Amino acid sequence: MRYHLMLQLSIISRKIKEAGIKPILGYLLAIGLFIVMSELLFHATGFAKYIVCLAALALIFRLNERDRSDFLLSNFGCSGMKKIRIIENITLCAPFITILIIKTHFTESAILLILGIIAAVTPIRTNFYFTIPTPFSRSPFEFTVGFRKTFLLFLFTYFLAIIAIKVNNPNLGLFAMITTFIIPWSYYTKPEDDFYIWVHSDTPNRFLFRKLAIASINVSILSLPILTALLIFFHERHSLILLLFFAGLIFQHTVILAKYSAFPREIGLVEAIFLVLSIYFPPLLLAIIPFFYIKSINKLKLLLK
Amino acid sequence: MISLTDINKSYGNNHVLKGVNLNFTPGRIYGFLGDNGAGKTTLFKCIAGLEQYEGEITSNLKPLRNHLGFLPTEPWFFSKITGREYITLVCNARHKKITNIEDKNIFNLPLNQYASTYSTGLKKKLALTALLVQENEYFILDEPFNGIDIQSNIILTEIILRLKQLNKIILLSSHIFSTLSDTCDEIHHLIKAQPIRTIEKPDFTALEQEMKSAILNSSIDKLGLK
Repeated sequence: MRYHLMLQLSIISRKIKEAGIKPILGYLLAIGLFIVMSELLFHATGFAKYIVCLAALALIFRLNERDRSDFLLSNFGCSGMKKIRIIENITLCAPFITILIIKTHFTESAILLILGIIAAVTPIRTNFYFTIPTPFSRSPFEFTVGFRKTFLLFLFTYFLAIIAIKVNNPNLGLFAMITTFIIPWSYYTKPEDDFYIWVHSDTPNRFLFRKLAIASINVSILSLPILTALLIFFHERHSLILLLFFAGLIFQHTVILAKYSAFPREIGLVEAIFLVLSIYFPPLLLAIIPFFYIKSINKLKLLLK
Repeated sequence: MISLTDINKSYGNNHVLKGVNLNFTPGRIYGFLGDNGAGKTTLFKCIAGLEQYEGEITSNLKPLRNHLGFLPTEPWFFSKITGREYITLVCNARHKKITNIEDKNIFNLPLNQYASTYSTGLKKKLALTALLVQENEYFILDEPFNGIDIQSNIILTEIILRLKQLNKIILLSSHIFSTLSDTCDEIHHLIKAQPIRTIEKPDFTALEQEMKSAILNSSIDKLGLK
């Protein structure tokens, strides 16, 4: 069991190494980034405590996959598996719980800890044979797969937008719309198997433009209900609403380019830092987008000759 | 026509392919035989353009990969994508419009179910169905018979022979000799980092005997079974 946990640490260190960063530096950067992001989040919205809890739970559920649970069960037995999962979940929740305690949200931190332990001892069988309907079946795969994994979050953003209109709070409405753009970023964090790029009869340039076009259409479909509602109910702020909508599209494009610039590895700390910097200083996009684009083309050339 | 000229492939000091020269002509089925690690999959990936290599690979239809259907040994699927969406994905990728997926579903696949929940055999059948729907001119089938049931085995053999009649080029690997001898016009025997040996149909039986005796003489005795 101890070896298994040490191995998980080694796997994370190897991933950081693959991103071209020394593991110790990677851990320090990740901690720094987490603190900065948390501070900014709590500064930006009163819903930060809920977002922190949701982020922690999303990570926990990723560790709860059926194959992974089966592997642990067959090798360590029932009690061994539960011990490992509890240690993993508490470790994973620790930074989120710490930030909640620092911000004096004691109830939420306690609930998060309890949910983490409950999730560890009651593995969720995610491989059931029910197919979640998606509006993106015609243009697989990112939004098709991603929507099925995150549709509850979209329901949450639509709910937030309704609340925003009810309480006449345009900022909350804008936050809901921005969230519809941020959720699909997660669809582009992991690289696909080589085959799914190779199979395209496109040049690297055309491949990328198709990806950007499909993402633009799909993310617009998801954010359109909120955009329309905001334009109707807060029409005096239409310039800001439209500006944020188009900024959302541009950042979606940047994330896609970041993904293929890192290919075949996952988006690493370097790309993440560039993305975060461009969020706080958008003019940087003028340099970052061409940089990611050229790198993506070079990576894709190997498979799309 | 596909031509391979002086293909070399190494992973560090490990030479997997050494000076491979082969020509593949339309309307013929080419079998590839060899031990695990002999380089069959590496050769297939080089032809497909999924691996970097030294040497030259040319084809009459260019670029080759746009006309090639590649069935990997273990097809990989996204976790929440249905069989139908997988077929749509690979057809979209080749700009092929598909309207009647049900008619093409000859293996009776549960197309509305997530592909990741399919059994090994079903996954292979799904990947194969998608290749056929893509209407390729060249096919690379890496161990297509592995894991599929006897009925599908018969259907697959018939499909391969039908593709031959349609003047396609088919490259096929298998660890089951009979599946190659039943379908192939010639078999290429790969031995790691050695020149490839080509065997024509009349000599298939002799090759099988030769392989059997070589394997049995050298391996089983070492086990010292008691």
